Amino acid sequence: MIGFLPLGGAQLVAANISVGVHPQAKTFIGTLDLDTVWGTGAAVAIVAIMAFALRAKAKGSSDGVGGGVPSKFQLVWEMGLDAVRGQVQGNTDATARMTPLVPIAVSLFVFILVANWFSVLGLGATYEWLAPPTSDINLPLAMALVVIIPVHIASIAKRGPIAYVKHYITQPFPIFLFPVNVFMNVVDEVAKPITLALRLFGNLMSGGLMLALIAALAVWNISHVPIGDVSTVLFDPVWKLFDLLIGAIQAFIFALLAILYFQRATNVEAGH
Amino acid sequence: MAATTMAEAVKMAGGMVGAGLALGGGAIGAAVGDGLAGSQTIAGVARQPEAQGRLFTIMFLTVGLVEAMYFINLAFAALFIFSLAK
Repeated sequence: MIGFLPLGGAQLVAANISVGVHPQAKTFIGTLDLDTVWGTGAAVAIVAIMAFALRAKAKGSSDGVGGGVPSKFQLVWEMGLDAVRGQVQGNTDATARMTPLVPIAVSLFVFILVANWFSVLGLGATYEWLAPPTSDINLPLAMALVVIIPVHIASIAKRGPIAYVKHYITQPFPIFLFPVNVFMNVVDEVAKPITLALRLFGNLMSGGLMLALIAALAVWNISHVPIGDVSTVLFDPVWKLFDLLIGAIQAFIFALLAILYFQRATNVEAGH
Repeated sequence: MAATTMAEAVKMAGGMVGAGLALGGGAIGAAVGDGLAGSQTIAGVARQPEAQGRLFTIMFLTVGLVEAMYFINLAFAALFIFSLAK
């Protein structure tokens, strides 16, 4: 409960702003944040509907799935996929086994993008109609684990268990400094999923917090001039436009870092 | 909101000061980082104007990574203020 900015006699209060409050339900698998479940479900449904619609309308491929002229959207989409494929295969030796990364990274990007852009619907209230599910720490942490655990599995599969353990002991310093090596590598590996999750969560949560602060401006009057209402109406669209940009950049960074972690984990020559 | 006991007052003051330190330090770091990324991008465009498109993509990526640290700080500051200092 904070009161601040005593302007023009009226006290501008942000007393009703709360952070990290979710409607919860206790079930047999634990406590669920209902708005996060609802938001995640909505994002999944939107992504799935778009994917199936695009698949149904996709035309003219070399494997003989129908003919005809592909739509503009399909062309743009395929160009995007080719860019990701180039990114994935260009930085390493272009092996066929890297290709599962492309759908993983693109799905992560599209899902996070849709989830982040729910913030446009935000009112600045404690309980939103459709809050971005990524503004709850639980979803980014889960997604970070979904990325990091396959990274380690891929690393073990590529190097073999012995080399996997060995490269944590023998890097970055020579073998006689192995406690330092193990410590640095463990810190590195633990920090990866935490920063991956916190980066996304912090951006989205602060977006919602800014919306709440802008909405709290509305009570600010100078004598009878409703200057707060005007500034809320002015700042809200500006912040939401900026939030769209932030959401897109963060979704891109999450997918890009997932690709980079996979590449570093499976790149035998570079060690890490 | 009023702290009635000394312990509550200390807790509230600590939360507020911590949030201020987190926000201030984060803002300094993010500003310096954004400035470095922007200045190097300008230098790159001045040297090689045709590379503008590619440089802007990388610059926005870098800015996103740099600002993320500030937003993490902002999240923790909000935690300090709205949860701990209540």
